[in-house]
Amino acid sequence: MSRLHAAAAIAGAICASAAALSAIDPGAAVAPRMEFSPPRAGSYVLQKIQPIADATLLDPAGRPTRLSAATTGRITLLTFFYTYCADPLGCPFAYNTLTEVRRGVVEDARLAKRVRFLSVSLDPTTDTPEAIGRYQEMVKRESGMEWDVLTARSVRVLLPVLDDFGQDVSVERSPDGTPRRTLHHMLKMFLIDRAGMVREIYTLAYLQPEVILNDIRTLYLEERGKG
Amino acid sequence: MNQRISQMARVRLCSLLCGLLLSASVAWADETCNSPYMSGLIKGQEDYIHVWTLGEPGLGDGSDKLVTIDVNPASSTYGKVIASVSVGGRGEAHHMGFTDDRKYLWAGGLDDSKIYIFDVGTNPGKPRLVRTIANLSAKSGFVGPHTFYALPGRMLIGNLSNSADKGGVTGLALYNNKGRFISKYDMPTATVGGVKGDGYGYDIAINPAKNVMLTSSFSGWNNYMRSLGEVVADPEAMKHFGSTMVAWNLKSMKPTQVLNVPGAPLEIRWALGPGQNWAVTAAALTSKIWLIKQDSQGAWAAKEVGTIGDPAKIPLPVDISISADGKGLWVNTFMDGMTHYFDLTDPEHPKETYQKHTGRQINMVSQSWDGKRVYITSSLLSKWDKAGADNEQVLRGYRWDGKELTSAFEVDFTKEKLGRPHHMKFTAKPSGQLAYADTAR
Repeated sequence: MSRLHAAAAIAGAICASAAALSAIDPGAAVAPRMEFSPPRAGSYVLQKIQPIADATLLDPAGRPTRLSAATTGRITLLTFFYTYCADPLGCPFAYNTLTEVRRGVVEDARLAKRVRFLSVSLDPTTDTPEAIGRYQEMVKRESGMEWDVLTARSVRVLLPVLDDFGQDVSVERSPDGTPRRTLHHMLKMFLIDRAGMVREIYTLAYLQPEVILNDIRTLYLEERGKG
Repeated sequence: MNQRISQMARVRLCSLLCGLLLSASVAWADETCNSPYMSGLIKGQEDYIHVWTLGEPGLGDGSDKLVTIDVNPASSTYGKVIASVSVGGRGEAHHMGFTDDRKYLWAGGLDDSKIYIFDVGTNPGKPRLVRTIANLSAKSGFVGPHTFYALPGRMLIGNLSNSADKGGVTGLALYNNKGRFISKYDMPTATVGGVKGDGYGYDIAINPAKNVMLTSSFSGWNNYMRSLGEVVADPEAMKHFGSTMVAWNLKSMKPTQVLNVPGAPLEIRWALGPGQNWAVTAAALTSKIWLIKQDSQGAWAAKEVGTIGDPAKIPLPVDISISADGKGLWVNTFMDGMTHYFDLTDPEHPKETYQKHTGRQINMVSQSWDGKRVYITSSLLSKWDKAGADNEQVLRGYRWDGKELTSAFEVDFTKEKLGRPHHMKFTAKPSGQLAYADTAR
């Protein structure tokens, strides 16, 4: 009970600090309502939004890894995160969604072999290869599917990747103007086809696990149709 | 590892609790008409208004321009023009829309079909023109880019006309945020859901929870680039106005229903609070308010629910702005210069509770999220604006206390040699946060 109270107090404090930041409201930390049945998988075409721009990132062993290699060959659901993120609008919310999508992927043998999740750290300073290795160990143990985790050598290496994806990140500022450790980012998930083309982008208003799973099935059917 | 999982579980609980705490204030509306996919709604005091302004021959540089006005009452330059970015030509500046991250503002020209992308994220008080897109017609066959509606990573553009005959048959064009064309979608001309489409286009409005997109319909280049007097006097021209709305399956981008809404239904505004899920529009030529909602079978239906002014006098309702809770609606009527307020508590029966003469000709109306500030501009289209002394070109700011609009400031766009002010968008200074790039070592 005391833990619940503590969690509520933390939640309240986070909400209060978010509200005090500025006139700009970050949005609501609630699951988007879904009051429809998605169209049948394969009955629609996902738009070809943009190709992945390549970059060299690091895997948990510290080995250079091409982003193009990490996002091709399988249908990829890419999310930016950082291991200590507690922003209710960010990583925890994304993790909950991924958990639900994962359940659907693992239950479908056709998809389990063809889909990967890819989490790329927004904070390479803190999220060293060793740190993302611990994170990957945890998510892989629970996942039953390919779930890769990457970081970057530095923020400078990461910035062009964020810019290419349109992934907005800002750093909380302390009253004296110096940066704090907290990163603010607009939660986005990117669905990427086997050829490395972004085919859908999910944000808070559109982060519906059933829709994401349906889109993954649609990409699978599209690729199967190509023979 | 167990400790790590336990930490994650606590974080998820924290997230859930925070969600519950915030859910009471959830309201998807406009501020005044932004896409629900856009981040960073300004729920407090806006700092700047950006006005997409038509160039006027012989006035200043004569070019279309993005004019920025300081609208924070605490500022020493309150009510003043603080920046102006000319695009170096005149192409009938009209509407604009933010990208989903609110960092860029896309603005279109109804005549030359050019699309300008302004950076308003780096320094909102000093926008920069960063890209011009000139391939809309070549890529899609459409002209007259009107509505710019943010989707994640993309911009969906509702057009008014086509390059073949410059009539009203048109469609939607989709670009990614980098400005690269992705695809096009024709407005339906066939019968869909028992009603024949007219193929015309105008506004876009999406309800993500219902996976539905609504579009409305106006008229083509042949009409909007001709003088209003000539159009009204030409019975043939008057036949070429939209009389439909279309409900689309958003995910598949396929039309599912055409709805009969005669008289050129223009701006569409959703009320998306819990239990709402309805939209309103105003038909310009008939001066009627229409309600679009689902029937008991789940089909979308359009119903005439109210009258704006005296339709016999053709007051021409040209813009609407819904309040954040969906319970109030501002309507501007161009010809008589009246700003109307309707109580929408019962959307089936809107009641006009207030009206004020706000100009000799008025067009756009935008309100702050809290509804306490209302802004209007004067210009409709370069060929449709009034002449002589009635051709005042202004932006007027008002305070609204729920009973009376009180004048706060005015910018005379003619005196300032700027042109004809049309669409408005708000920005706020970033506070409490630093750009990630500024902290990179």
